[in-house]
Amino acid sequence: MHEDDERYFARIEDRLDEAFDRARAAKGQGRDPQPEVEIPVAKDMADRVENILGIPGVAERVRELEGQMSREEAALELVNDFVEGSVGDYDSRAGKVEGAVRTAVALLTEGVVAAPIEGIDRVEILENDDGTEFVNVYYAGPIRSAGGTAQALSVLVADFARSLLGIEEYKARDIEVERYAEEVALYDKETGLQYSPKDKETKFIAEHMPIMLDGEATGDEEVSGFRDLERVDTNSARGGMCLVMAEGIALKAPKIQRYTRQLDEVDWPWLQDLIDGTYYEGGGADDGDGDGDEDDAAEDADAADETPEDAVEDAPEPAGPARVDPASKYLRDLIAGRPVFGHPSEAGGFRLRYGRSRNHGFATAGVHPATMHLVDDFLATGTQIKTERPGKAGGVIPVDSIEGPTVRLANGDVRRIDDPEEALKVRNGVEKILDLGEYLVNFGEFVENNHPLAPASYVYEWWVQEFESAGAPVQALEDDPRIDLEHPTAEQAFEWATEYDCHLHPDYTYLWHDITVDEFETLADAAAGGRVVESDGGVVLEPDDADSTDGVLELDRTEELTRLLEHLLVEHTQTDETLRIPEWRLFARSLGLTASLEMTWDDLSAEARQWAGGDNAVKAVTEVAPFDVRERAPTRIGNRMGRPEKSESRDLSPAVHTLFPISEMGGNQRDVGEAARARNEQGVRGELNALVGDRECPDCGAHTFKNRCPDCETHTEPHYECEECGTVVEPDESGRVFCERCEREVESPDWFSIDLSTELRSALENVGERESSYPILKGVKGLTSANKTPEAIEKGILRAKHGVSSFKDGTVRYDMTDLPVTSVRPAELDVSVDHFRELGYETDIDGEPLRFDDQLVELKVQDIVLSDGAAQHMLKTADFVDDLLSKFYGLEPFYDVEERDDLIGELVFGMAPHTSAAVVGRVVGFTSAAVGYAHPYFHAAKRRNCDGDEDCVMLLMDGLLNFSKEFLPDKRGGQMDAPLVMSSRIDPSEIDDEAHNMDIVRQYPEAFYEASLEMADPGEVENLIQLGEDTLGTDDEYRGFDHTHDTTDIALGPDLSAYKTLGSMMDKMDAQLELARKLRAVDETDVAERVIEGHFLPDLIGNLRAFSRQETRCLDCGEKYRRMPLTGDCRECGGRVNLTVHQGSVNKYMDVAIEVAEEFGCRDYTKQRLEVLEKSLESVFENDKNKASKLGDFM
Amino acid sequence: MPLETPARIVRELARHGYNAEREAVTLIAGAADPGTTLARAVEHAGPDAFRVTAADVRAVLDADANATDAAVSDPTPTDAESATQASNASASQASNASASRTSNPSTSTATSADTTTATETTGPPETGGSWNGRNPDRSLRSLEIENDMTGQSTGTGEYGDFVKVFKDRYEKLSRQLRGRVNHRPAEAIQSMSGGSDAAMVGLVNDIRSTASGHWLVELEDTTGTFPCLVMKDREFASAVDELLMDECIAVEGTLSGDAGIMFVDSMYSPDVPRTYKPNTADRDVQAALISDVHVGSQEFMAEAWHRFTDWLHTQEAERVEYLLVAGDMVEGVGVYPNQDEELDIVDIYDQYEQFAEHLKEVPGDIEIVMIPGNHDAVRLAEPQPGFDDRLRDIMDVHDARIVSNPSMVTLEGVKVLMYHGVSLDEVIAELPAESASYDEPHKAMYQLLKKRHVAPQYGGHTRLAPEEKDYLVMEEVPDIFHTGHVHKLGWGKYHNVLAVNSGCWQSQTDFQKSVNIDPDSGYAPIVDLDTLDMTVRKFA
Repeated sequence: MHEDDERYFARIEDRLDEAFDRARAAKGQGRDPQPEVEIPVAKDMADRVENILGIPGVAERVRELEGQMSREEAALELVNDFVEGSVGDYDSRAGKVEGAVRTAVALLTEGVVAAPIEGIDRVEILENDDGTEFVNVYYAGPIRSAGGTAQALSVLVADFARSLLGIEEYKARDIEVERYAEEVALYDKETGLQYSPKDKETKFIAEHMPIMLDGEATGDEEVSGFRDLERVDTNSARGGMCLVMAEGIALKAPKIQRYTRQLDEVDWPWLQDLIDGTYYEGGGADDGDGDGDEDDAAEDADAADETPEDAVEDAPEPAGPARVDPASKYLRDLIAGRPVFGHPSEAGGFRLRYGRSRNHGFATAGVHPATMHLVDDFLATGTQIKTERPGKAGGVIPVDSIEGPTVRLANGDVRRIDDPEEALKVRNGVEKILDLGEYLVNFGEFVENNHPLAPASYVYEWWVQEFESAGAPVQALEDDPRIDLEHPTAEQAFEWATEYDCHLHPDYTYLWHDITVDEFETLADAAAGGRVVESDGGVVLEPDDADSTDGVLELDRTEELTRLLEHLLVEHTQTDETLRIPEWRLFARSLGLTASLEMTWDDLSAEARQWAGGDNAVKAVTEVAPFDVRERAPTRIGNRMGRPEKSESRDLSPAVHTLFPISEMGGNQRDVGEAARARNEQGVRGELNALVGDRECPDCGAHTFKNRCPDCETHTEPHYECEECGTVVEPDESGRVFCERCEREVESPDWFSIDLSTELRSALENVGERESSYPILKGVKGLTSANKTPEAIEKGILRAKHGVSSFKDGTVRYDMTDLPVTSVRPAELDVSVDHFRELGYETDIDGEPLRFDDQLVELKVQDIVLSDGAAQHMLKTADFVDDLLSKFYGLEPFYDVEERDDLIGELVFGMAPHTSAAVVGRVVGFTSAAVGYAHPYFHAAKRRNCDGDEDCVMLLMDGLLNFSKEFLPDKRGGQMDAPLVMSSRIDPSEIDDEAHNMDIVRQYPEAFYEASLEMADPGEVENLIQLGEDTLGTDDEYRGFDHTHDTTDIALGPDLSAYKTLGSMMDKMDAQLELARKLRAVDETDVAERVIEGHFLPDLIGNLRAFSRQETRCLDCGEKYRRMPLTGDCRECGGRVNLTVHQGSVNKYMDVAIEVAEEFGCRDYTKQRLEVLEKSLESVFENDKNKASKLGDFM
Repeated sequence: MPLETPARIVRELARHGYNAEREAVTLIAGAADPGTTLARAVEHAGPDAFRVTAADVRAVLDADANATDAAVSDPTPTDAESATQASNASASQASNASASRTSNPSTSTATSADTTTATETTGPPETGGSWNGRNPDRSLRSLEIENDMTGQSTGTGEYGDFVKVFKDRYEKLSRQLRGRVNHRPAEAIQSMSGGSDAAMVGLVNDIRSTASGHWLVELEDTTGTFPCLVMKDREFASAVDELLMDECIAVEGTLSGDAGIMFVDSMYSPDVPRTYKPNTADRDVQAALISDVHVGSQEFMAEAWHRFTDWLHTQEAERVEYLLVAGDMVEGVGVYPNQDEELDIVDIYDQYEQFAEHLKEVPGDIEIVMIPGNHDAVRLAEPQPGFDDRLRDIMDVHDARIVSNPSMVTLEGVKVLMYHGVSLDEVIAELPAESASYDEPHKAMYQLLKKRHVAPQYGGHTRLAPEEKDYLVMEEVPDIFHTGHVHKLGWGKYHNVLAVNSGCWQSQTDFQKSVNIDPDSGYAPIVDLDTLDMTVRKFA
């Protein structure tokens, strides 16, 4: 490790120690459930794994293997150890498999989540119909928190262990296969799966799965067809099994394949069919079924026709360039109000550009900020998009070093917009968005998703390498102040392309692949018939005038010409009769015209004509132009909006200031003040009965529910007294409290009569506050924890005073969408360069001393950037913590913050849902984007990637002082999302390895771009580009995260997505459809269909169904009735009973759905469904004999 | 195309969009060149005509004189082949059914065998001259409809409408039970003293099993609720398994010491009297009971349907004068997700047009009654009114009667309760397999007869549209109870009431395969209205 890395961690740990000292002093006073800090610091991952599993020897073996191989490989390697018995103390074969499977899941989740223990119930060995044995793995619901990869790998590990133990494969009976299909579909319907496999897919997996997947019933809903099977002991859906099947095997097939290939003992040849989707009987293209697959299959067939092998007889040359197949999966479950930005691979959609911006990588998508504004602000930094490829989803980040969108304005002008300000200016005049601009994806994303490379756009960074390879003096040209290599003049570009025999510069390469050869000829003829005029349109010039920079090419305007120029993305202006192209010289050259617009060719060769079936004019250009061109943008990526970005405080509903029970007396608001004033049933003011933990004072023996004895101020302990025999029991080592005599669990909670008004008054006195210090103080109805230990009301008073609220575990939290960033400028973080130097940053990314606010600095791994909202919230929390320390604990304040700048350098916890470990981070700056930017390794340490995931930050001292396990709910999953342990230092090899696949270079080599044209496997070029995993375990593991693209600011574009700023669902949907009309790459009818099918129809149908089988409710006492009482009135209180589903909520979308279907020309099928529904509504809600009259009746 | 049989002629005419008089068909069949004759007759009738009349044919034949003398052409295969295929498959069903003569499999096979023999000995009817085609005496027919709420839907979806429906249900059904117990209102029982005898008629409000395995049934009447305990060792305790929410029952028993609960000694359902004597027709006339045609589905069995309608034109079917269709004429739209991918006809109106075409194949004299089902383009909530005018115009063939689901149809005195059968799913799901299952749908129907309500349970699977009264109550005992929906064939007699679930005309769908349902497709149960005996014919 480098010395300054050492220093960096030491600084963090010093501050951590300081905080610990103060927290210990506070906790030691015994005012909390435990007299010590309850978040221990974890040593390393191996420790965590061993502890969570309780299998001795695992930690040592894991440490041994860690150095040599990846975690997945280590998990597989450990299978050998378990089978041989060198690790774990298992006698039975089932036990060995179980140990191996649990260890694999624990390893893959870094010992952070509960899945390995709670998610795998057991492994058993059962018998096939032919008498051979097979392995059955029994999953439970919490396997969810392991994630798809670990779930899938657990199956592979079980199979590997099975083969080593010489156990046969599972041979599923036909009815079991059918059951899997029905059950997975049922689970998907009831609970929902991230990925819904089709029945055929599930059956295919079930038929080939070498081990049996089984599990606990998780829902009430039962399968209707394949019930009471001999080897399946429930008729309900087995949630754990369904997750492993769908989100594990089906979704992560490409990932598992990487590992099956490495193992000789395990052979899953069917994975390839699963990945290709050729799991129908004959496989191949003719069996396509359903929407997406049909397209795929058809495309397969086309592709096959065009490959050289198949085309040998017809033509010796390949008949067209490689293209990725459009995939429409991301369009499924389209949501009203969240727009589609591009249909699958549709021209006009985002153009794939390879590269990693500094705020990029790890499931993110780089979009130009001008695009964000032009899609009516629907995209903002951190907005999630569902994407066609390479992954499924990504967080949007602004990158302004890529090309912006091209639009047609109302006056017909076509312009590319590369400036967000300009985008805002022209936005109202945009008639059509012809092209969404570039879409930056880093190479690592393809590695992570094991997705074949898609053909690259032709871009500057590729061209310049080709230019150099062609022998050009690139270095000298770069140094020449008169030359802009990135954006040269037409003369220079022409000269370079011809002189060095290099491809034409991308700035002058148009999208020739988007027009047909016929259209190319039309265009060439039209251009040859054009004239060069003064730019104001006045005088006709001789095209070969000496001063060639003047003049624009004027063509007679026709609809076709306009369309072709638009498709080529040639910027131009329009008059009533003409089209004027300012930058026309290389355009004309590309069409095979001379500088004086003379045709240089008569006819095209057969090859150029037949290239890609005549639909691609690139070969034609190459043939007639004096230079070669590459395809400018061969890959378009469709996508749609997923979740909006998030940056808001986490409040329980209703918000909670103090975890103190006030039963029903606080009303709906759970107002403690109100409860203290209210009369109970006996008419006594402010007194209530509550079930709280019975605690005993070790000194004076007094019983109380408080953490500190009211009499002698000693810390109290929970008191366990057996309800039946009265024996006082102590918890054993595992924390279980068991009465041996009565053979029952013993609990501490008991009913206490609490004088809330006195409690509240004394608490206010203790901290020197009055009720007027806060607008409202909210408590809870009752406690859900095992011991039902209440929190001191004082803490709540101070939280309420500072306007923060508590999560279920006593901490104050703020949620933000995760985004990565590897280099920052102090200026964009609203921090001075001096401040940055104080944090230990000394040099910029080039090693120059750090002197200016706008120098680019490489971010350290545990440093995080807070959103403005988070900073405000942390400020309030810091004030609360300081008040708490001084007024409640009587100690010195810890933070003393006045403005947000004071937060710089302070420590926070990062904590993700479904995990139980917090990661320590350091605040280094602020951003106006509504996201939490941090080093990708920091996110990965929390097991988050950045595809729209969100998690929270807590102020360090708040966590240390206020968190207690005693507050956690006593139910399955209660331990999740609570900081049971903290990692103070990130070990890059112990994080979610997704992050290791991020590339960290400054430039991708020429060979990479060329490989992309062949759609190479990412593995084939992995050695060309350094990834994070290449530096693991070296001195450089914390540094050297280089990027290929810069961006001016990490918070460009709108701060909030329009989805969040628009009001009603209707407004959002109108905006969504409006945008669909504007985007060239979007089929608005399809969007309307999907919105109707996915949103309106289910809503209408669901509400109509709900109406005709609804419950009713008493308006006065709230009593619910399954059916309307025959008395008509409430049987409890005699009050008025009414429906819970009314006409208004049933048909609220009816009219608008019909309107949308009509306006966007939806299919008759959809319209008729609406029609039938409308009639049903009328039939139910209208009196046949007294119909409401409509306007139509009088026409 | 060869046009040997009247049935084919009728179908050919239907394809041209025409109906035909019986005599016209006979004339065409007798022509030397039936094909040409038919084409010309159609021309003669003109595009605006609805039926081809004998006059049209005569006009054609007269114009072409040489056609007449070739009347009796070569013997053609009879339509007996369809009849010989009459169900053997139903034997298994029948053996499960009650021992009544109707459902005896030997009867049904014997009937068809006899018929077959008869036609063979007498030769092809159309050539032998012993049968001159259908020639019913319409004046003997009678058909009345009750309980039709089409055009009478007055509910507006208010809370009060719901209350009215349940009150009406309670009033009608409690009337059936009042004679059996000495009903005291819940309110009155609540104030009775411990240990006294009590009886109550109420809607089942809740059923719970107690920790010790007894049953706690909460009954509700218009004054309130009262809990009734059925001890697990009582002989009628198993009847609790067959209870559904919101059905009406009567109980008798003793109040507990604290008068808080009633220990039930006996329990009654409205039921059909054991000695019920069904009405019968005065003459030898039959009705065909079908349902679930599902036109528009890729699985609609057009061939089987053609065989069925062909058969209706044969002498064997001469006595079939009524056709009842218990819902799901078409496959519909939007019934389940992505249904469009599995539709043969995607347009809902085209589906009905096509259904109407198929209906034209049915002999023109047959009286048809239809009710909608859950696939049809009407509201799903029950009672379902009959189709709207647009759909009626499409299906105006044969002047079919289109009425609401459920409806009571009286055919020459025989009361047939037609109900599509959505509630059967729920009855089968809720009750023990021996009381109701998909393999024996008629047993589920017995339960409904016993409860005297076609869809008792509220809030679950079955949807309710509140109207001014409860149209779903069986106020009168039907003589025949006809349902469909579950696509399984099953019949039997319950207290002398014939319960028939009539199978379907759709082969197994992917969905049915996925949930392991094997439908009974292509059967037509034929009931003798004078004896209520039933024969099942198979056309698939």
